[in-house]
Amino acid sequence: MKISVAQQVPYRFMPDDFGDRGSSVVTAPYGVVDPGRMHESVFSAYAELMHAVRSGFDGIVVTEHSQSSYDISPNPTLLASAVAYAAQAEGLDPAIAILGRSLGKTREPLKIAEEYALLDCISGGRLIAGFPVGLSYDANLNASLPAIETRDRAREHRELILKAWTAPGPFPWNGRFEKYGQVNIWPRPIQQPHPPVWIPGTGSPGTLRDILRNDFAFVYLSWDGPKLVGRQVFDRYWDLAEEMGRDRNPYRLAFMQVAAVAETDERAEKEYASHLMALYHSGLGAIPGTAMAVPGYAEPAAIEAMLRGGGPDGMLARMRTATYKDIIDTQVAIVGSPATVADQIEAFVREFRIGTLLVMLQNGSMPRELTEKNISLFAAEVLPRLRPIWDAEGWENHWWPAARGATAAEGGATGGVACGAAGGVAAATGTEAR
Amino acid sequence: MTAPPAAVRDETVEVWDGRLRLHVKIAGEGPPLLFFHPLSGLAWDPLLGQLAGRYTVYAPEHPGTSPGDPHAISQVQTFWELLLVYQELARELGLDRPAAVGQQFGGMVAADLAATFPRLFSRLVLLSPAGLWLDDAPIPLMQMVAGPPEDMPKYLFAHPESQAARAAMALPADPELIPKAIAQSAWNLGCTTKFAWPIADHGLDRRLYRVQVPTLIVWGRQDALIPVAYAKEFGSRIAGSQVEVIDDCGHALQADQPERTWAAVSKFLAG
Repeated sequence: MKISVAQQVPYRFMPDDFGDRGSSVVTAPYGVVDPGRMHESVFSAYAELMHAVRSGFDGIVVTEHSQSSYDISPNPTLLASAVAYAAQAEGLDPAIAILGRSLGKTREPLKIAEEYALLDCISGGRLIAGFPVGLSYDANLNASLPAIETRDRAREHRELILKAWTAPGPFPWNGRFEKYGQVNIWPRPIQQPHPPVWIPGTGSPGTLRDILRNDFAFVYLSWDGPKLVGRQVFDRYWDLAEEMGRDRNPYRLAFMQVAAVAETDERAEKEYASHLMALYHSGLGAIPGTAMAVPGYAEPAAIEAMLRGGGPDGMLARMRTATYKDIIDTQVAIVGSPATVADQIEAFVREFRIGTLLVMLQNGSMPRELTEKNISLFAAEVLPRLRPIWDAEGWENHWWPAARGATAAEGGATGGVACGAAGGVAAATGTEAR
Repeated sequence: MTAPPAAVRDETVEVWDGRLRLHVKIAGEGPPLLFFHPLSGLAWDPLLGQLAGRYTVYAPEHPGTSPGDPHAISQVQTFWELLLVYQELARELGLDRPAAVGQQFGGMVAADLAATFPRLFSRLVLLSPAGLWLDDAPIPLMQMVAGPPEDMPKYLFAHPESQAARAAMALPADPELIPKAIAQSAWNLGCTTKFAWPIADHGLDRRLYRVQVPTLIVWGRQDALIPVAYAKEFGSRIAGSQVEVIDDCGHALQADQPERTWAAVSKFLAG
């Protein structure tokens, strides 16, 4: 399987009572921030990603949230771009996954097409393009777009971006939300016909069908706890895949998991518990429930089903008051010795047929030194156990950037891949990447 | 929401080249009167009952807010289209210069219809209407709609504990019906805020001068959603209009001050 490090960018010095004082998003009070500590928080995130790349992870994953204190990443392309360049300059070759620019939130979808394409050029064809609809608070409050149009907007933007990447020449776009006279972006992605597409979602049947119909990959996040919702979400996905005539290739499914590794179980709890709880209590737990579903964002049938208990009943809604035991019991976070962490992850990876693991190793108030220890231990002792899990089944991974060509690799070794190498790389990667 | 009494009938009118079937609640006898409801959807409250005592009240439900027809909203893409839809509705119903009463979001709709089609109505009543914006009197519409439901009364009522206020916010007594009711309320807000988000301003301030019919503007002095400063703004932009500001009264006029609201509205409509 493929294993990447996922990084959010929290402010790491939140007062303990931050969650009691207000929201962690939209109206989060900026007065708590010390500029020097903001620099440290943001800089550490970049440094930890580089540490992960050097430690042998297959890729990096970043996300987008505006007006948020738990993920200070209003445009993840900036973060990804720095890592893509630095990694290539060191001759390293990680996949760069952005999960992603929010399509229901953006007012400039062509900027996303351009920035993703540029990133594919910088990295020599290593981009994984995440196309999320976007969280309600981000699209409907931060960007202030009408909630009821969020999904239609995201659908049109995805179609426009894919066309901007693949159309041979300038084309006009007369959409409902966007109108352009001549679309002809520079650069276009190196990967042909376009970078692999991943869709993060909460697992509603409509989203899953859309993913399978288009042969994209589905990404699910562990906030609700795989113990509580894994069965429901992943069984539905594989049932739908079968119903729609898709194979059971595990690389159709990526999963983001919080993990923390130390020498022993006891030491792991001692070192990580308070830092993790800072994320759940002051970050995710301090997002008001109403901000996740501004009226119009969810269909009436979906709201009714949720109120009747028909939806996944996970931990996210209860984060504010969750105990460390809740977090561990439900596997929202997996914490322990390398053997404990590997055992738990391997079990659900096999059970749910997860081909790609995105592991979040910095959370809440974790300082850089501790995070880098976590990254090192995971890379050295957990990663080797997980990597071969699907090897025996022999699936081809169509949802991963194809292997780099010689031209680009040489470019990387001599200090970076120029976009001028695009032709050679495209020829070398062929047309298998999606 | 209060269920309409039996005397209210429900008619479906096809408009928009057959793409939209608007549900209209109709009650009463007398000259025609169109009522445009607020963001939350159509609730047949006592004010509508009073109006139906003197007029034939036609109260259209905003597209998508009619139970069982949530996706009707997708047929109306812009506020301009919504105005055209309602102009067609008046024509299809065969209404000859009806009076129009619009409340909050519905007030913005009625005011813009009167500005866009100056001969559509005979009289116009605007009950704490949306549609304008003053930088020094911001309207916390987004905060109300996206905030916790338990905070909503503080924006709407000067007296949130009054029987009328509680009736307006009440959920069904039968717990089995509550999920559907909550889902419907949320969707109604989604359908109406499509044309009022994040700020209900479609440039009405530049068109209001076109309103040519006698107009009454009614406001509650303690309005915590659309501050009373907007009463003067509407009044000064519509030539010859009357402005009535009611004391000890919040945004939902007929809940906070039912008698004074009815007195102002009925007197104006009769004149």
